[in-house]
Amino acid sequence: MTSHISHLDLLEAESIHIFREAAAQFRRPVLLYSIGKDSTVLLHLARKAFYPAKLPFPLLHIDTTWKFREMIAFRDKTAKDFGLDLIVHTNEDGRQQGINPIEYAPSIYTDVMKTVALKQGLDKYQFDAGFGGARRDEEASRAKERVFSFRAEGHRWDPRKQRPEMWHLLNGRLGSGETVRVFPLSNWTEKDVWRYILREKLDVVPLYIAKERPTVVRNGQILMLDDDRFPLKPGEKPEMRKIRFRTLGCYPLTAAIESDADTLEKAVAETLSSTTSERQGRLIDHDQTGAMEKKKQEGYF
Amino acid sequence: MTAMTAIKEPAGQQGASELAGLQQELNGMLRVLTCGSVDDGKSTLIGRVLWDVADLPEDTRATIEKSQTSSGFPDYSLLLDGLVAEREQGITIDIAWRYFDTASRRIVIIDSPGHEQYTRNMASGASHADVAIMLIDARHGIKRQTRRHAAILDLMGVRRVILAVNKMDLVDWSEEKFRQIEQDFRSLMWRFQFWEAIAIPVAAVTGDNVASKSDKMAWFDGPTLVEHLNDIPSRGIATTGQFRFPVQTALRDAATDFRGLAGTVTSGKVAVGDTVTDTVSGRSAKVQRIATFDKDLTEAEQGQAVAIQLDTDLDITRGAILAKPDHLPVTARTLDARLVWLSEDAFDPRKNYLLRTATDLTPISALDIRSLLDLETLAAHPSTTCAVNDIAIAHLALGRATALDAFSDAHETGSFMVVDAVTGASVAGGIVTAASSTAIVTKERHDVFILTRQILERGLCADLGNDSQSQTEFNRRANEAALLLRAAGVAVEFEIDDPGI
Repeated sequence: MTSHISHLDLLEAESIHIFREAAAQFRRPVLLYSIGKDSTVLLHLARKAFYPAKLPFPLLHIDTTWKFREMIAFRDKTAKDFGLDLIVHTNEDGRQQGINPIEYAPSIYTDVMKTVALKQGLDKYQFDAGFGGARRDEEASRAKERVFSFRAEGHRWDPRKQRPEMWHLLNGRLGSGETVRVFPLSNWTEKDVWRYILREKLDVVPLYIAKERPTVVRNGQILMLDDDRFPLKPGEKPEMRKIRFRTLGCYPLTAAIESDADTLEKAVAETLSSTTSERQGRLIDHDQTGAMEKKKQEGYF
Repeated sequence: MTAMTAIKEPAGQQGASELAGLQQELNGMLRVLTCGSVDDGKSTLIGRVLWDVADLPEDTRATIEKSQTSSGFPDYSLLLDGLVAEREQGITIDIAWRYFDTASRRIVIIDSPGHEQYTRNMASGASHADVAIMLIDARHGIKRQTRRHAAILDLMGVRRVILAVNKMDLVDWSEEKFRQIEQDFRSLMWRFQFWEAIAIPVAAVTGDNVASKSDKMAWFDGPTLVEHLNDIPSRGIATTGQFRFPVQTALRDAATDFRGLAGTVTSGKVAVGDTVTDTVSGRSAKVQRIATFDKDLTEAEQGQAVAIQLDTDLDITRGAILAKPDHLPVTARTLDARLVWLSEDAFDPRKNYLLRTATDLTPISALDIRSLLDLETLAAHPSTTCAVNDIAIAHLALGRATALDAFSDAHETGSFMVVDAVTGASVAGGIVTAASSTAIVTKERHDVFILTRQILERGLCADLGNDSQSQTEFNRRANEAALLLRAAGVAVEFEIDDPGI
């Protein structure tokens, strides 16, 4: 007898298996919550994995203080609706030094407000495992990533220390000083994430859906003016445009696309038939060659 | 600031076809391991499959169309090389994953580089694969490497293989050439436990028999590579196996008085009301509830992640395996295994190792390497050492009992990794050939069957003479006899001057 389980059901079951393996093997895991679509799916799967019990770990959001306001509102509402234990961490040193995405190079800003902040947050609460929403299909440097990705002391990613993974066996025994990033969505594609959001009727940040929003065009990219911290250059003037976002991050570093897709279904249909790849809208990735890989070695996601 | 707008159900007036596409779920997933070297045109072949079938962004298509190889064709390998060349990260075990959809199913390409160190890479990749594509160059035919690849696939439980005979354009689409290779392939394959082994003549650069039938090879009446990939069933889908439920963790919810066992059904199925037994303690209870976030189920089958509530508390923790009382796994204290050594650090009998099974972690009290498998002759040569890329036949004694199956009965509960107790590293991966509840550590090799020349000459090889042809036949029969014995769970060693071929 052969049964026909759809590929989304298989992916869901695999992710649940990974969540449970990690929760059972690590002393103090945390879900690294970044509010976007991947985190939304990640959180939903985590809730499924431990149902009817509560989530056995907290959520950690690294707040750079430059996220879209709608992201923060969505984060707080999600935590409240689902009764989640949400920890928000900001690199206060960085904030006091005034490190911001407008005056500083994206690489410096990202390092201080995201990478360093994440390490601080993990160390502060002594987390030994962090669930992340990374997918192998996202970017070439991730195609070889493990489900359990080990980090040496100081959160360094050492390619030679990565463990082979065979069958569904996940070896979570930590060596001295080691921590681990766990990627339950490893085998999902961007298309799967959106299909699953529609299938499970998940709420997402409204920024994914087209709406008239205040914008400015700089270097050929449409940026949204989310608050008054974004200084306009001479000749630039704010204009309302009907835009949406394919990925979400810090608003001065996240480019929008013009779109009429004013429902989630239309936005997803448009995204999935689009001719460019997903990370196009993330300005930090284009900052230097091999940017993603370098950030990973330093401990960024 | 606008109030939080929740994104809800479609309004019901969307273009129906557009939405149907979005909500389409594919019929399962097929994980395909690709083995072969760059010289055989591996990147070009996978690239060509993606080109013909996958939903590639238009900018990518434009780049490929503009590219050109020396032979004047677009360079399809660029679709993969972005991944391979740029990303030589020096990861110890190097497998790249790539995903695409055909009209009906998700295809996952597991690409393990064919260069040195490939045994562990391939073994690791094969453990995830439903089917393997072995790629060869039509001009060169079956090589020693093909034989080694087949041996690794066989060991790791891949039961379906495809021989893609590539570069048919360079042998004038010759049927004769292909049939000769196909025949060599058949005579190689019968040594292994493959259920299905098919050879397909292809030309990756021109796309002949990749996704579309070749008119230059009208003599070939088999499927194209993509047709075949669309047709084969996934490895894990048959539900004929016995029920196995390795317990991952216990879930408790005070509010609803729930105490359940979380896990994934790794084989077979279970229904509410069934009696299940905790293998090691031998205690039984009835399944009271099968809970999932979406709804309670009346039954759960292979591949489903659920939480099972029993009618009596058996005090079960992580590592236990629930099964039906009449078909239990073995409560294992010792086991015979075949393993691939993955670590750069060779096996060290003074070190402490742990056995990582489905959900248990058990101390290994003795790990005895018995012999190493020669992948070319498939003969086992006695050895007590084992280093990276070796495939060893070993005997393990455990510090306490754990539930195990033979790999041939149940892959998920019959496979393991060996973990270094200090560093936590995964140093070897393997399969259980036999498990026993006997706690005796068999340091002496009385449980090994010694295959001697004498035994063979008395019967099986009584008809053979002394010329070199007979010697070859003798060796062949010796190996076959050993294979049969091993398949029946008997450890075999040779005491023959030169059992190898």
